[in-house]
Amino acid sequence: MAEYDLSKTLIPYLDRHLSFPLLAHLVETGVFPADEVQVAQYELAKGTNMFDYAVSLFQQIYPNQEVPKEFEEKRVNAVSTHERLEHEAQAVLDVITIPDVAQALRQDKNQNLQYLKDNFNLTLEQITALYNFGKFQYSYGNYSGAADYLYHFRVLSTDPDLTISAHWGKLASDILTGKWEVALEELNSLREAIDSRTPAPFASVSSSANNNTPAVDPALSQLHSRTWLVHWSLFVYFNHDQGRALLLETFLSPAYLNTIQTSCPWILRYVAAAAIITSPTPTSKSSSVPQSSRVKNAVREVVKVIQMENYQYEDPVTAFLMQLHVEFDFESAQKELQKAEKVVLDDFFLGQFHDEFLESARCLVSEAYCRIHQRIDIGDLSDRLNLPRAEGEKWIVNLIRETRMGQDAKIDLEKNLIQISRPPQPVYQSVIEKTRGLAIRTQALGAAIARSGAAAAQANVSTSVQVQSVEPVAAVV
Amino acid sequence: MSRFFKQAGDSDSDSDESEELMSSGDEAPQAKPSGSKPAMSRFLRTAGSDSDSSDSDSDSDEDSDSDSDIPKPKKTGLPLRSDSEESESEEEDRQGIRIISAQERRLAEMEGTGKAIENGLKINDWVSISNEFDKLARMIQRQHNVSEPIPPFYLKTLISLETSVASAIAKEKEAKKKMNATNAKALNSMKQKVRKAFREHAEDIVKYQADPEKFEREYTALITRDAPTTGAAKTTNGDAIDVDGNEDFRPVGRGGRSVALTAEGIFKSLKSVQEARGKKNTDRGEQIRILEKLLELATTTYQRIRVLLALISSRFDYNSSASSYMPTELWISAQNEVDQLVAVVASNPAYIVQELTEDYDELVERSPATEKDGIVRIRGSIISFIDRLDDEFTKSLQNIDPHGTEYVDRLKDEKTLYSTVCRAQAFYEQTKQDDPLSRVVMRRLEHIYSKPDAVVQALESSTESADIKPSITLASKGSTTGLIHSLCVHLYRTGNSLHRTRAMLSHIYHYALINDFHTARDMLLMSHLQESIHSADVATQILYNRTVVQLGLSAFRSGMIKEAQSTLLDIFTTQRVKELLAQGVHQQRYQVLTPEQEKAEKQRQLPFHMHINTELLEAAFLVSSMLVEIPLLASIDSEELKRKAISKPFRRLLDFADRQVFTGPPESTRDHIMQASKALQDGEWERCRDLVQSIKIWSLMPEAASVKEMLAKRIQEQGLRTYLFTYAPHYNTLSLSLLAQTFSLPLRSVTSIVSKMIWSEELAASLDQSSGCIVFHRMEVTRQQQLALIIAEKVSAMAEQNEKALDAKLGTSGGWGDRADGKTGEKRGEQVQERRGRGDRTRGGSRGGARGRGARFAQGLGNQMGHTSQRAG
Repeated sequence: MAEYDLSKTLIPYLDRHLSFPLLAHLVETGVFPADEVQVAQYELAKGTNMFDYAVSLFQQIYPNQEVPKEFEEKRVNAVSTHERLEHEAQAVLDVITIPDVAQALRQDKNQNLQYLKDNFNLTLEQITALYNFGKFQYSYGNYSGAADYLYHFRVLSTDPDLTISAHWGKLASDILTGKWEVALEELNSLREAIDSRTPAPFASVSSSANNNTPAVDPALSQLHSRTWLVHWSLFVYFNHDQGRALLLETFLSPAYLNTIQTSCPWILRYVAAAAIITSPTPTSKSSSVPQSSRVKNAVREVVKVIQMENYQYEDPVTAFLMQLHVEFDFESAQKELQKAEKVVLDDFFLGQFHDEFLESARCLVSEAYCRIHQRIDIGDLSDRLNLPRAEGEKWIVNLIRETRMGQDAKIDLEKNLIQISRPPQPVYQSVIEKTRGLAIRTQALGAAIARSGAAAAQANVSTSVQVQSVEPVAAVV
Repeated sequence: MSRFFKQAGDSDSDSDESEELMSSGDEAPQAKPSGSKPAMSRFLRTAGSDSDSSDSDSDSDEDSDSDSDIPKPKKTGLPLRSDSEESESEEEDRQGIRIISAQERRLAEMEGTGKAIENGLKINDWVSISNEFDKLARMIQRQHNVSEPIPPFYLKTLISLETSVASAIAKEKEAKKKMNATNAKALNSMKQKVRKAFREHAEDIVKYQADPEKFEREYTALITRDAPTTGAAKTTNGDAIDVDGNEDFRPVGRGGRSVALTAEGIFKSLKSVQEARGKKNTDRGEQIRILEKLLELATTTYQRIRVLLALISSRFDYNSSASSYMPTELWISAQNEVDQLVAVVASNPAYIVQELTEDYDELVERSPATEKDGIVRIRGSIISFIDRLDDEFTKSLQNIDPHGTEYVDRLKDEKTLYSTVCRAQAFYEQTKQDDPLSRVVMRRLEHIYSKPDAVVQALESSTESADIKPSITLASKGSTTGLIHSLCVHLYRTGNSLHRTRAMLSHIYHYALINDFHTARDMLLMSHLQESIHSADVATQILYNRTVVQLGLSAFRSGMIKEAQSTLLDIFTTQRVKELLAQGVHQQRYQVLTPEQEKAEKQRQLPFHMHINTELLEAAFLVSSMLVEIPLLASIDSEELKRKAISKPFRRLLDFADRQVFTGPPESTRDHIMQASKALQDGEWERCRDLVQSIKIWSLMPEAASVKEMLAKRIQEQGLRTYLFTYAPHYNTLSLSLLAQTFSLPLRSVTSIVSKMIWSEELAASLDQSSGCIVFHRMEVTRQQQLALIIAEKVSAMAEQNEKALDAKLGTSGGWGDRADGKTGEKRGEQVQERRGRGDRTRGGSRGGARGRGARFAQGLGNQMGHTSQRAG
């Protein structure tokens, strides 16, 4: 299944530290040889300040070799840097933890800065020390500490670039400490920051240059930021309770959909999976939270996107949706589902949703199947769902009992069939539907005319007369 | 003719003198080498003649000077004569026998005028006398400008005129009524003029009258004094001096001094050639020949560059009219010379050709040593030569009959042209001049973007063997796509937005050509070009149209029928395919093009080998329309609902075909497709397939076989859909296996197609899995129900209409903008605006159907044409 593993494509878009969990997961799944993954882990750790971890990895990989000296030197260096930075940062921290100061700080960052400068002689450089220390802490794995410092820095700093950078750092720290609520907040604020950052140049680019403009293009850097955000947010979305719905909400918004289509089509796997997972199933009765229309129609939209991007990216998860909703080839859909099941199980993000995925996917299959067919052989359907016969029957009965399909579908046990009778929509129904909005629309029209004066009043009268004459006809039918 | 010779003969001595005058700037020995001898006559003669022409054009310079002084231009005075003289002198130049110096000619002219005055006097025609005298005065004025002495001839004429005017006036007084009004007027003005001239030259006249002979002697003495060594310069005189000059010529020619001498001569003659440029009576062919000789003579790099610059531009000057093209031989030599120039400049980094330089003395030899920073900057523009060369090539292809062998022969020159362009690119890369570099890269790209792999390889092969290579070659990039990609990327990086746009379009075109539809489409959409293309110039709009059309073809070749149909629809709705692709002039039914418009249109045309075959295009469009439209038509009948036609051009053709009483065997592509459409409607997919496949034009597609196969498959599928739509009302159930058999499709794909139709609610049916058949849910609609449906439909349409009307009346005031469908309201507003915009244009009315991108196509040239017609009107 190595060919469907996305770790290799994802890691370039992740922070060094964020990649560790992915690699650890690879060790567990055993898709790749364990020792190779370990070497990768070691290479990764070498670039950080987590010496102990690196050394232990080194010893695991090369048990007979001596640990390189450089680690010792680096450690000494790091300790001294740590002390220095801590000292610098502490000065600022001391000031801002004074309760009076905390109260005196306002929304306006410039004013805050002035205030701190006047009363405590704090300069911008000193505040930047917070950032440096936070970054250093992050580099040796003290994520919660890093998050704290970066938070304080962000409150005080006025430098836009460093603030954004602090945003990213804080997000990474929150992800790595597993505080999903906080991380989600952080993610949203970062998203806003990115989206709002370059509104003006964007318009000018589309109007004048309209090309793959030079590298310093703000639109391009925005695209990069969005790509990164899309990747990082996977951590949050697949761990937070409401994450999948939020993922669809975000990723199907035009800006991010474009980002995915342009720079990282492989994310479609996660979008597709999230769409499948969030689709309603009889067992998931958690519809307490009202879902937006975007999430409700997620499957349809995702299918459209997948169809469009099929030439760029394809894996069992997307292929399953393709076969089911574009080709209506249930046999291949079944095969793809089998493969997708395995892919999902091995995937770092999707692994824990394996059961939900399977359940929802089966629901999708049976829904499509029932809508198209009139008489269905239960055994056949069970096959399509990758279920043994007996279990399949149980599953189908459950399905019929618990969904709205129950009114139309009847099981004929003698022949082992499901009969679905779906009466066609009566004519009067469609007439009612067609004339439904007319009264309100005409009223609005009338209001508009009343406002604009009596000149156009006659048109109004004629319409309302027409509408009234229609309703009796509908009643007669 | 005879008079001319006579005059020329008369003024032999004068011509000698003029020769002297010319060389007076030089030292006496320097004039010697131009003393000719038969053995070297070829070179010397031209050298001599060009010094002549130098003189003659300095003369014509003065001509123009004096013209500007005197409001009445000279040519109105003597059109015939000057013309004939021109031709004569041309002839003579060519024969190389006699060269008439400027002064000689001036004198001859003067004498001619004097003769005319005499004639006038004889018949008492004062109007003509007055005219002639004006002319004479102007000539004298000119003479004065070159600080030549007043010829005695003039004074003689003046004096005789004075007496005759006096006598005429006296006569006039005696016998009135003899002269008509104009003549009398002329006489009076003549009197004034003569008096004035007398006053001006009073001194000379007194002298002349005192002793005419002495004056004349003085005059000749004055002239000869300027040049002591008379006659040495003249070949044509055939004097004995020639023999003398002969003997000391050789040693000098071989000696070191001669270099300086020829160099000096080169600059002078160059200058004269340059000054002759654009003058009325310069012989361009002769100029070119002079320059060619000069090039042979040029020894230093500086000289070579200077001569080459002049030579190339005079070659381009050769044919000044806009409609005809440069002769091929000239073009080839120009191309060679551009190559030489590039090579010279590239191999000598100390010499730079720039469009803007500081002023320098044109007549002085320069070398890196003499310049301040060790770099010689020369005024000129290589890039414009290359642009021009390329343009001339295109022009010649536009004008040559594309079906003759000449065209093919001419096309072979593209290879050398391409290598020239590549060399120039290498040169600019070497010297790091970004602006010309991007222009040259653009040229290169335009040569290869629309060509298939093999042709590009052939073109590129020549660059491989060249001495200087550009950084981007086919060999270094591995494939055509790589080559084009890197060229385009280079252009994207430049600041010029026109180049970027064109590069983008060429890039997309190339991707479309190699059937990479997705990449091409994504690039086109991401570039947002369709929004800004209206503001581009016509050539870019044509390129855009070409790109879109090629994209449609690529979709067709890759089997994406729907995409192909919607892409090609836009251009076919306009019904001006040829015009929009610049592959032919559109025939207007109600409007006649003005000659200017026609000319402009002709200049826009693409050379034949760049054409996209319109018949193939039409076949692709119609076939894809058929595959989209026929099932749709079938479904409309079954639902008894009017739906919007997707493809109007196709519908129109189909209706036309339906109306025909007799249908013979198909001949044209259209016939084939129309009959195929009918067969498809009747469910005879095999006949339809055969008809479509027998269209001959497919063979023009590189992948004809696979395209045919794809079409057959699509026809099967669409045939099945059409069949289901058409015959569903007549069945209760329909076995899937039977369908599979009828349409020779695998059962699985039949199931898949039917499922799709059910899922999208196109077909009111469901599948019965156990028995393997389709069960139709036919819903019988009573008459009353049907009417109810119709009236409901109509009412809602009416409500919509009212809203629209109100919208138009209230404008965009948001009286009910708070409605849920406020957005659609906006859109409608836009549409209304668009329609209004189209109404304004003169030709909007006949084409209501095109909207959206179709309108954009129409606007492409339509706008342009509108402007021109306005200007014309």
